[in-house]
Amino acid sequence: MTPAITVRNPGLLSLIVDLGRSGFGAVGVPSSSALDRFACQALYSLLACANAPVLEVLGPRFALQFDADVVCAIAGAKVKAFLDDTPLRPWASFQAKKGSLLRVKEIGEGFRYYIGFAGKIKAEAVMGSYTTNLECRFGGLNGVPLKSGDILHLEDSREMGTNVVPLNLIPPMNSPHILRVMEGPEADSFTVDSCRHFWEKGSHELFSVSTNLNRTGIRLEGTPLVFRPEAPKSIISEGIVPGTVQIPGDGLPIIQLHERTIGGYARAAVIARADQDRLAHLKAGDLVCFEKITMEEGERLWMEKQKRIAKLQSLTGSPSTSE
Amino acid sequence: MIIQRYAENALRIVFGSRIDMEVHERVRRAFFLLISMHRNDIIEIIPSFCSCLVIYEGNRTSYDTLADLLKASLADLSDVEMPPPQVHVIPVRYGGDYGPDLSFVAKHCQLTDAEVIERHCAEIYTVFTVGFTPGFPYMGTLDESIAAPRLETPRTRIPAGSVGIAQRQTGIYPFESPAGWRIIGRTEVRLFDPALPPYSLMQIGDKVRFTEEV
Repeated sequence: MTPAITVRNPGLLSLIVDLGRSGFGAVGVPSSSALDRFACQALYSLLACANAPVLEVLGPRFALQFDADVVCAIAGAKVKAFLDDTPLRPWASFQAKKGSLLRVKEIGEGFRYYIGFAGKIKAEAVMGSYTTNLECRFGGLNGVPLKSGDILHLEDSREMGTNVVPLNLIPPMNSPHILRVMEGPEADSFTVDSCRHFWEKGSHELFSVSTNLNRTGIRLEGTPLVFRPEAPKSIISEGIVPGTVQIPGDGLPIIQLHERTIGGYARAAVIARADQDRLAHLKAGDLVCFEKITMEEGERLWMEKQKRIAKLQSLTGSPSTSE
Repeated sequence: MIIQRYAENALRIVFGSRIDMEVHERVRRAFFLLISMHRNDIIEIIPSFCSCLVIYEGNRTSYDTLADLLKASLADLSDVEMPPPQVHVIPVRYGGDYGPDLSFVAKHCQLTDAEVIERHCAEIYTVFTVGFTPGFPYMGTLDESIAAPRLETPRTRIPAGSVGIAQRQTGIYPFESPAGWRIIGRTEVRLFDPALPPYSLMQIGDKVRFTEEV
């Protein structure tokens, strides 16, 4: 019998995700990746299960019940989670006994958290990935968020020792969020003054995260960027990468996540890859500021981040997941 | 052709700065040439009106290496093997609940509803790029006399199959999604099937004609 895990409460939104689809950008298929890829990789390391589907959860009150002994792990936002009455350590794996109930009561630091299992949740693989494309309703569990009463079937469930991610590998997730950015293709559509306010060290403009945020993008509020008089307010639609900061006509930034392949607004900046996992933890009211770096600096930061990913992978000697 | 860096692991190959068939043809040729190279350091190629966006595996190549290689490989686009464009005929129910903005467009263009429909159906459109949502074809070029601006405030939800226009473009929304284009009709043709390669009915370069279904 494959162990079954019953969703008792899905929190605000819980989805099956993985590291995303790639190679279908020419037909408009986005990656729909886990937003905190580092947390997802931490689960893969703790559970030695590269590329398996995991749960991405928003909000408290999430609860799961186990009908068999299962090894699980939690990463991402630092949550106060309990297995029956035993508090669980964040960024660690644990043994859930048959009949036990996993509950998340509060979220301390961060926004989205991730739960994985030693084994493979039975989910719909679409175009090479289990991740849920919410808008188009494919992947995951029938393309929709988890509901109370949903049953997750765990194939190839394995017994294994438990493990923890060392504290020095757990990134900060609280507001204010300092996001390092590189100049985007249309950076010179904006006045020199407004660019300086936007991203120059020392003259940090603080933006706040609006309530207009979802898995597709995050809208910020604050002092609008100012277009040069001759600059067009929209561009001929063009391919975009995740982390692109687009500026629509009103001058207020929209951070694109992993759900769009093409965009039509001026691309003022691109958030450094090394800082993109942080975007999973931006919530309404949080403060954000941008800090301009060079492309070379962005590359160097990404190499450092990859070293941290490699350290995660050495926890259990799990196979590496390519980036 | 200009190659410009976009992110740590992405570059743009830019062929022009306006929407026209000549720029489109070069983008399309470059796209199929890039695919035929089967490079394991290229993860994603996203062609659009004027450029190809290339996302690469930073551990397998560097920007300088890849940019030099692409400059050389794409210098001559005269002899690229490409699939012939497919021709799609799309039946559309115009106006009413299917096309809530038809009357706005007619009024804006000082035409009757019937004239807008007639002109929308008269053109053979080219699919310049596919994106926004999976399978969404950005098509041109719309008759100038029925061009209309985007909505000031986009709708948060429109039904799958909605046919929209924006400036000199027309498109079809494959999924229920937010929409900023003026919706003039709806089709029942399925534009995207995640279970069936090549997944999207429309591919870059395809030709499309609309017919009125009554």
